[in-house]
Amino acid sequence: MSSRDRRAWETFVRLADTLVADFDIIDFLDTLAQASVELLGVDAAAILLADCAGTLNLVAASAQQPRIAELSQLQQAEGPCLDAFHTGSAVQCPDPLTARDRWPAFASAVLDAGFTGVYALPMRLRDQVIGAMNLFSAKPGELDAEAAELGQALADVATIGILHERAFRRHEVVIEQLQHALSSRIVIEQAKGVLAERLHLPIEDAFAVLRDYARDHNLKLAAVADAVTRGALDDGLSVGSAHRERPRSRERRGLVVIRRCGVRPEYRVPDLADETVKLVDGVPEPGGRRSAGKARGRLQDQAGPEGPVNDG
Amino acid sequence: MGGTAVTLTSIGVWLSIVGLAASEKAAVAVRHAVAACAQAAGAGAALSMSCGCGAPEPVFATDTLSDGLEELQATLGQGPSVEALAGNAPVLAEDLADARILARWPDLVPVALARGVAAIVAIPVSSGAARVGVLSLYRDHAERLSGDDLCLWLLYADAVLMLALDARGGLAPGAVELVGKGFTDRRAEVHQASGMISVQLGVSVTDALVALRARAFAEERPISAVAADVVARRLSFVPLETT
Repeated sequence: MSSRDRRAWETFVRLADTLVADFDIIDFLDTLAQASVELLGVDAAAILLADCAGTLNLVAASAQQPRIAELSQLQQAEGPCLDAFHTGSAVQCPDPLTARDRWPAFASAVLDAGFTGVYALPMRLRDQVIGAMNLFSAKPGELDAEAAELGQALADVATIGILHERAFRRHEVVIEQLQHALSSRIVIEQAKGVLAERLHLPIEDAFAVLRDYARDHNLKLAAVADAVTRGALDDGLSVGSAHRERPRSRERRGLVVIRRCGVRPEYRVPDLADETVKLVDGVPEPGGRRSAGKARGRLQDQAGPEGPVNDG
Repeated sequence: MGGTAVTLTSIGVWLSIVGLAASEKAAVAVRHAVAACAQAAGAGAALSMSCGCGAPEPVFATDTLSDGLEELQATLGQGPSVEALAGNAPVLAEDLADARILARWPDLVPVALARGVAAIVAIPVSSGAARVGVLSLYRDHAERLSGDDLCLWLLYADAVLMLALDARGGLAPGAVELVGKGFTDRRAEVHQASGMISVQLGVSVTDALVALRARAFAEERPISAVAADVVARRLSFVPLETT
């Protein structure tokens, strides 16, 4: 087994492991985008989903970069992902200079962003295409056959992840799942805005605060984000939490998955404040995490008029 | 407006709404979007809206049957509309005669069936945390929904959202603006800016979005351009009382 094979195998096991019950779709897709970068030897990866109007929306990316967001937005009008979405076939664009006729605005934005290779892999469910995975490389050249195949497998896993949460396979449920992922992303963007303003952070740093809080408290990103937009977590989020490494314990996640399954009725996004309180109070935090959290200081202490103070 | 895609389906949705208003010789309003959706769905439709706090109230229905059932759901505190609002996700009750549906809403379902309603579909009128209400469709026959149906209704719910936000902001955009307008709103900056403005003004994300749209309307600029200024901190919103 080559080292790439081994890493691919480990990645698929890890991703499959997340797909057990009630998992966080946005976190899953972000993880998958990150894994794609590592496995395929590219420099950035993004996952775009189509909404009901046929517009592609960025739902996850390997890094919170404004340029990736911009490149995704351009593909509402033109670009390889839009082509992959419409044709259901992979699109390779190893040199944006040659793509200037096809996608003039997109091609020059790619060059401006410092990328030279762009690839789009369709996200298919049988005859339906739900979006595309976008890969960016700073080096020119085609993806080799093996990487292209592996990339498609990762795009397929992303599709499965999106449609998995409720294991139906009816068409309108597909729409619901897509809608759920898209709506989650919107709430996350709104919450990033709230945090950026409240904590005086650059918008791209706000995501890490949300993600770390969600992971620390075993909550879904969208649930945390919704609580943030309602001001329900004002005392709980701090800047420092974005800068600490924290291991993700499978056991700890598993515990909450079981609890959540018990309390979460069908079709309901968890009620955010209630769930936050329930889980924070109900799940014992191992190894003094809670006191570490307290010592970290709260919003008011950290983000005074002088701006954020990083303790990481 | 460069960089945005306009699809035939969403144009069709807006044209049906604008056409309905034109046939009444009236300015385009929320009720036209609800009525156009009802026509497209071959069903009765009702809209409940909340004004920020408290339970949402039925504000418009295309017929007395839908109106009555929408009221009943609000009174009982049960039903697809109630759950769609609470969960911020569509709730599809495609066949009210199904025993599981009866068990889920035991007080509502017998009444609805007795009045000849066989299916209820409720779709939240929201964009992420910006929520204004729920759009409900009442059908006289049970039928499996297709994805295309659901997609179409989601687009109508989107139109209702934009019209409701602009009504709240005291705006009355013309037909041409409306048809071209909905499509710039999907950018991440718009959502991020809404969050930032909500802190700047000390209001909900919904009202922040109202303020953002009003500003764009007043300056005759695309919403995404104003939003980009907010995110880049070139523009910030100031509450009225401190100016």
